[in-house]
Amino acid sequence: MLASIPSATLYGVDGRPISVEVHVSAGLPGFTIVGLPDAAVRESRDRVRAALLSSHLSWPSRRVTVNLAPSGIRKSGAGLDLPIAIGLLVAADVVPSRCVERTAFVGELGLDGSLRPVPGVASLVAAIDAEQIVVPAAVAAEAALVAGERVRPASTVAEVVAALQGQSPWAEIAPLGAPKTETKEPDLLEVRGQLVARRALEIAAAGGHHLLFVGAPGSGKTMLATRLPGILPDLTRDESLEVLRIHSAAGSTALGAALTRRPPFRAPHHGATEVGIVGGGTSWLRPGEISLAHAGVLFLDELGEFPAPVLDALRQPLEEHVIRVRRARGAIDFPARFLLVGAMNPCPCGEGGLPGSCRCSDVMRRRYLRRLSAPLLDRFDLAISLGRPDVEDLLDGPPGDSSAVVAARVSRARALAHDRGVRCNSELRFDTADGPSTLSADAAALLERRLRSGTLSARGLHRVRRVAQTIADLDGAPGVDERQVAEALQLRSARSTLMAGEGQ
Amino acid sequence: MTSATTLTDQHRYGAGLAALGASPGMLRKFLDGYAPAEAWEAIARGRHRADPDRRYRDKAVPRTLDTVESACARSGVSVKVLGDADYPPTLAADRQAPAVLFSTGDVAVVETRPRVAVVGTRSATHYGLGVAAELGRDLARAGVVVVSGLALGIDAAAHAGALGVEAGAPTVGVLGAPHDAVTTRSQAALRDALGARGAVLSEIPPGVHSARWWFAVRNRVMAALAHVVVVVECHHRGGSLHTVAAALARGVTVTAVPGSVRSPASAGTNRLLVEGAVPVRDVDDVLTAVELCVVTRPDITPPSRPPSLNRSSGSGRRAPPATAAQSRVQRALDHDPATLEAVVRRSGLPLGEVALALEALADAGLAVGAQGWWSRRSG
Repeated sequence: MLASIPSATLYGVDGRPISVEVHVSAGLPGFTIVGLPDAAVRESRDRVRAALLSSHLSWPSRRVTVNLAPSGIRKSGAGLDLPIAIGLLVAADVVPSRCVERTAFVGELGLDGSLRPVPGVASLVAAIDAEQIVVPAAVAAEAALVAGERVRPASTVAEVVAALQGQSPWAEIAPLGAPKTETKEPDLLEVRGQLVARRALEIAAAGGHHLLFVGAPGSGKTMLATRLPGILPDLTRDESLEVLRIHSAAGSTALGAALTRRPPFRAPHHGATEVGIVGGGTSWLRPGEISLAHAGVLFLDELGEFPAPVLDALRQPLEEHVIRVRRARGAIDFPARFLLVGAMNPCPCGEGGLPGSCRCSDVMRRRYLRRLSAPLLDRFDLAISLGRPDVEDLLDGPPGDSSAVVAARVSRARALAHDRGVRCNSELRFDTADGPSTLSADAAALLERRLRSGTLSARGLHRVRRVAQTIADLDGAPGVDERQVAEALQLRSARSTLMAGEGQ
Repeated sequence: MTSATTLTDQHRYGAGLAALGASPGMLRKFLDGYAPAEAWEAIARGRHRADPDRRYRDKAVPRTLDTVESACARSGVSVKVLGDADYPPTLAADRQAPAVLFSTGDVAVVETRPRVAVVGTRSATHYGLGVAAELGRDLARAGVVVVSGLALGIDAAAHAGALGVEAGAPTVGVLGAPHDAVTTRSQAALRDALGARGAVLSEIPPGVHSARWWFAVRNRVMAALAHVVVVVECHHRGGSLHTVAAALARGVTVTAVPGSVRSPASAGTNRLLVEGAVPVRDVDDVLTAVELCVVTRPDITPPSRPPSLNRSSGSGRRAPPATAAQSRVQRALDHDPATLEAVVRRSGLPLGEVALALEALADAGLAVGAQGWWSRRSG
């Protein structure tokens, strides 16, 4: 009369274990779901009924109560269809209860009794503690990445019932196989000229430094930014699993996609809402673009056009690598460790920043620049001005190194940073007296001159030192010299264009 | 509202008339044949012959007077009505002189000195800013009053250059907005500094919302005050051309600083030169024009030409680049600003070398970098 079936529901990108209790009793035929179900869960009654009938299984014409425990958590999505259906069958004595001992179920039902994939299956099975977990066959491979041998794939509810009763064996997990031929990442070879921008990309990739391009339309900002993921090192297994979990929970990738070793690249449009960028939502709290860019690159084109609240919301993840979304229903931490690439026009008229060419009024320019708060601009270690490329360069400029060559240099530099005990140089701290690397006397003198002349702030000093360290690593230099510091200083010179919004 | 009786009736009603929002020409008609109090009374009763449609009657209420008076007191602005003894005679002689003038500082400073209007674009290059600042400085040293518009860019640079000279000539700003208009911090600081060492003039009473067209209209006041107008940098259809037009209408000499033919900020000035404006390379050229102008004016003290202003000195003194890389980078620089990218490509050196050389050249005063754009420093 009573069955209790373990399952799980999504909360952010994590799964929460749920126990689906089904009680069938005498009384007027009826079906009630309690325990904070959302609309998709409540509708499961009709799906379960149709699926059972099409699979020639009985639907009890008695009083059915379904409780989703713990009752304090809001349950969302259609992934509870399968456990409800199995619970019904067990409670109605169609399937003996010993057959479902220590077995959990996750899956959405079609009216024909088929099992449909659900988002976030990797996170769901990770939350379940059971000897075997039945999941839709389409996402079995994803589930197996986390739960391995415990995963039992099935394509229809009839197949599940047969296998549970030992009438037929469980299907084999379709092997994860080779990842689908990954769409080829754009190569740096296709960029003509732009020596400085290429160098900035390489440094950004090697040191994890956030990068800002300031330049007129047509100066190649987007073209350059899309080539950054291609020179980043492969993800570790843990990282790619994390990326898979986030993307699966967001339902943004094709469900059942293979594990990818390449860092993601996300380029949300500036019309996107704050929720779309940061995460959240009404039905279930979904990761936003910044979490989808986790372990990869977040490219914000037309940075100045993004609403100010969105830009301010970026500050926490840039600092803590996590975004905390607070809603009335609770707070969720989404992972958000990304490399930020911003691109913007120097002013609304887009006349390209060539001094003296702007035709904007002071008010317009100030309003445009005011959206970028100084704390946000401070996060960019690299900021360069781009001019339109020369015609000669476009036609027969010398091609630079290919992405593969640059990526090799980046990996070497990252290995050096790793030896220092950080993931990349942007995480270096110079607070301790014996910093990780010592500056040469010339380099220290140059920094001191810039500090005294007021062109460099104390906060900027640390950023310049980190970038200089990355440059030294890339060049294979033993320590940081004047040359690396000078280059680091030059590669952040476009910041002053944007700081001019205040006063001056 | 407690009406602080800081203004005489003449000034109180004059300020009130200016606050009605009439154009400068209309304001003159209001006061043509009327004393300020009479004009106010007539408008308020709808009987003024310059206001047959009674368009200004609704605004001519006592509250307007109180608002303007308290705003004047708050921002320390004094009122002068055309015809007053302390109204600057230079300006009074102009056909389009403001009927009511609001000022801070000492307006009388303009009377006995030669006056040069230094004007130009707000979106200036560092070349233009440098020239404006040097002209402002050298003119102030030569005892010439620098007149400008207190806007960002060229105006601010010229004012600041003049203010930087210790015991130099005063400098006068002509606002296109009320004295208490909200501006940037740096503009407000400049406005206060000018009030302390020179004068700030405006036709618009404080406490009034101004309109954009005032910026063009006030340019005639600068032209009326100046003996010579110098346009430092101006776009193809820049606002400085209003000043030029007003100057030409008054027979004031118009000069212009030549710029690169590729620089959009010099498009307007270069065209002025083609059309016959006097070219200006440095303060000597301006002083020559000023002397030609004031030689027939015994009431004006001619500018002094300190010997140090001699053109042959002052340039070519800088040390040459120290290393081969530096001289190579310096050759790659131009007087037009170029991106770092362009400098790297022209010099053919790696970015690190170029960056190091640029830092050294900047320290030696041979190169100028601003906002990621680099150019050669002119000697």
